[in-house]
Amino acid sequence: MSNLEVWDGTISQKDFYVAARTLVERWKQVNPSLPQWTWIPSKSTLMGSSCKEEGYLSLENMFHIDRNEECLIVDSFSEREETDDVATLVHSTSNETHIYDFHIVYSFSYKVPVLYFHGYQSDGQPLSMDEIENDLPPSSSKILRESKWTYMTLGEHPYVRRPWYTLHPCATSDWMKLLLGGTSMKDLDISSYLLSWLSVVGQAIGLRIPLELQQRSVKHPSASCFIINN
Amino acid sequence: MAAESPTSERKGEKRKAEVVVHLRATGDAPILKQAKFKIAGSDKFLKVIEFLRRQLHRDTLFVYVNSAFSPSPDELVIDLYNNFGFDGKLVVNYACSMAWG
Repeated sequence: MSNLEVWDGTISQKDFYVAARTLVERWKQVNPSLPQWTWIPSKSTLMGSSCKEEGYLSLENMFHIDRNEECLIVDSFSEREETDDVATLVHSTSNETHIYDFHIVYSFSYKVPVLYFHGYQSDGQPLSMDEIENDLPPSSSKILRESKWTYMTLGEHPYVRRPWYTLHPCATSDWMKLLLGGTSMKDLDISSYLLSWLSVVGQAIGLRIPLELQQRSVKHPSASCFIINN
Repeated sequence: MAAESPTSERKGEKRKAEVVVHLRATGDAPILKQAKFKIAGSDKFLKVIEFLRRQLHRDTLFVYVNSAFSPSPDELVIDLYNNFGFDGKLVVNYACSMAWG
């Protein structure tokens, strides 16, 4: 590979493994109190050969709490006849906890990472696409609706072998090229690929990525508060 | 807007009333005539994004900082500057939406 070659924004499966390890370590440094990214090695590889570095990243049991306020209007009558009926508002809150799992899987066809995710209620009932979209902050909904670089769809998770929601990866190499492609091939720091990638993907699905994660050397490690929905 | 505050306890960080932002066009994005401006450190990055949208008359932009990530609109400009600024300014790159690959 010559130094003059222009990078196309894609990575190899081995690069993905290196980048995954960086994400796991950095996330642990920056967010030690949150659920952690774990590398799940695949038992049998997709390409038919044995490779211990093949697998995917998993972040599970992310809690999203939706606070609903229900207003019950109750008519109450004053004791004195001449006064008007008084309507009182009674607020009751119902907390619905949704739980999300996020997986980052390497796509052999696009040669980039792909996000797979799903949500479910505390009783295990899966969330529909509408319910998931409802959980998203407005900025994320806007990205998914309007941007040309990603959209949410259902796809078969290549390892779990069930339909999960996914962000389509067809434009990933284009924007990764913008993010990391300023340097020549020899200076390219592939290990930080997923940190950069996650800063973009996180915004599309309402996953708050702390700023400290982007520092290539940690200056002030801190337990940042993780907010899925603002 | 924000008054000058005493130096932060954290080493090397200062609270600034204003941050100089330098907007850099990348890809095929149009270059702004006025590419440098000042913004209050206490403002959110959203303000920079919205400024770009207005100037370029485009709603979908890809906005990122040179250290290779796209900041969340909720990030404070002062935090971005303190961590990723250099030469007294914060460089913000922007590109227009890419076509489908």
